[in-house]
Amino acid sequence: MLGAFRSALTTPDLRRKILFTLGMVVLYRLGATIPSPGVSYPNIQQCVEVLQGESQSVYSLLNLFSGGALLQLSVLSLGIMPYITASIIVQLLQVVIPRFEQLKKEGQSGQAKLTQYTRYLTVALAVLQATGIVALAVRGQLFPGCQQEVIPDNSVLNMVVIVVTMTAGAALLMWMGELITERGVGNGMSLLIFTSIASRIPAEGGNILNNSGGFVFAVICCFGLVIIASVVFVEQAQRRIPVQYAKRMIGRRMYGGTSTYLPLKVNQAGVIPVIFGSSLLYLPQLLGQLAGNQNTWWSRFIQTYIVDPSSWVHILLYMAMIIFFAYFYVSITFNPEERADEMKKFGGFIPGIRPGRPTAEYLSFVLSRITLPGALYLGIIAVLPNFFLGVTGGQGGAQNFPFGGTAVLIMVNVGLDTVKQVESQLTQRSYEGFLR
Amino acid sequence: MTLLLQIMVLLTSILLVLLVLLHRAKGGGLSSLFGGGMQSNLAGSSVAEKNLDRMTLFVIALWVISIIGTGLLIKLGG
Repeated sequence: MLGAFRSALTTPDLRRKILFTLGMVVLYRLGATIPSPGVSYPNIQQCVEVLQGESQSVYSLLNLFSGGALLQLSVLSLGIMPYITASIIVQLLQVVIPRFEQLKKEGQSGQAKLTQYTRYLTVALAVLQATGIVALAVRGQLFPGCQQEVIPDNSVLNMVVIVVTMTAGAALLMWMGELITERGVGNGMSLLIFTSIASRIPAEGGNILNNSGGFVFAVICCFGLVIIASVVFVEQAQRRIPVQYAKRMIGRRMYGGTSTYLPLKVNQAGVIPVIFGSSLLYLPQLLGQLAGNQNTWWSRFIQTYIVDPSSWVHILLYMAMIIFFAYFYVSITFNPEERADEMKKFGGFIPGIRPGRPTAEYLSFVLSRITLPGALYLGIIAVLPNFFLGVTGGQGGAQNFPFGGTAVLIMVNVGLDTVKQVESQLTQRSYEGFLR
Repeated sequence: MTLLLQIMVLLTSILLVLLVLLHRAKGGGLSSLFGGGMQSNLAGSSVAEKNLDRMTLFVIALWVISIIGTGLLIKLGG
């Protein structure tokens, strides 16, 4: 294990990549602490202190994704969230708009065009979100219960400057993510999310330690480790469908004749269903906050059943959404007919099943059966912290709680992915890898 | 002085957004975002891309300097 680390660092190419990635991460964390121009830094600090105690806020998920930069109104406060939202929208539009579907089928060039659309959409969404946050901050709704003025000078020019700066920050972050993907290790965007979530761990852990004492803290840490191990276990699980390739001669060389397998992951969709589900569940909450009036019957209904993370309605709704989105996303990303066609084209077949349509039917049958435990697992992991609300120090910290739910899923997924990439770089040079 | 710096922040921010959007789109969007396997970038960076990188870095430097400048002015009560 340690030897693998050493050989990773002694390979000049890999060392440069790792150092580049680390440098970018450091820059990101630095940028997350620079306050936007026109924002009063001492006042913000006081307001965040006030909010630490209750930590019940609409933005807990957003704040988690931005690593606490959002509530600081820093330059990079939007974080990677606009990009995630934009890619979700573009991904969903592929089902609705025929032109997008056509682009997706075009292969590399179409994909590049789709990515370009995603980037334009990111900037547009960043402007929207920045405007929203600045408006909330000026009206004093971002920090309920805090008397300090966060933005002392609320002239139009000043607000425009803040909005434009945050938008530029989001664009900059997008570029940094792409640079990491290109020149570093791992996927840049997900590494940036990983960084911001991981940076919340010490603060949240400290909160628990202060509120509930050492014993509870130790129990929670052990519990977190168990959850991480089980997440790794399920993430690595896959069903291997045997595929036999027919022998054929092209020119004087023999191709095929091998038997391989088609791996179908139990959790094919990754963490995307969780992100979709939680984003959608935050919508009614956000609407309620914007409407302001707390006494109409529907806002009370939303408060008691949908917003409150310990209510059964909330938990069941969240689970149902995750399961639905798991199936939905798998059906978008994995096309059994395409896969069966490809196999047929290259002379492959699954033993016992005829190529063509029966193969496609078999694949979709196996996939829909295997996705069920995957979806259930995602749902259970995601709602797990809701059962521990009493332990984690009152309301609201549920999604923030870094040892369960969305945070652990994302961190473990990204970590595994990055280690696998480093590993494949190492094995290219025939060194021993991290994973045995 | 504050007004000047604010205008500077505005201009550099807009320029930065435009420059970032000018870069060639990389990565396959969300599908590769969370454990979606790897794709190799076969296309190397061209000279134009390199110059674009340099310009972007320059604009970023200006942006950061003007932001920190405004922050300092506010703190000093200017």
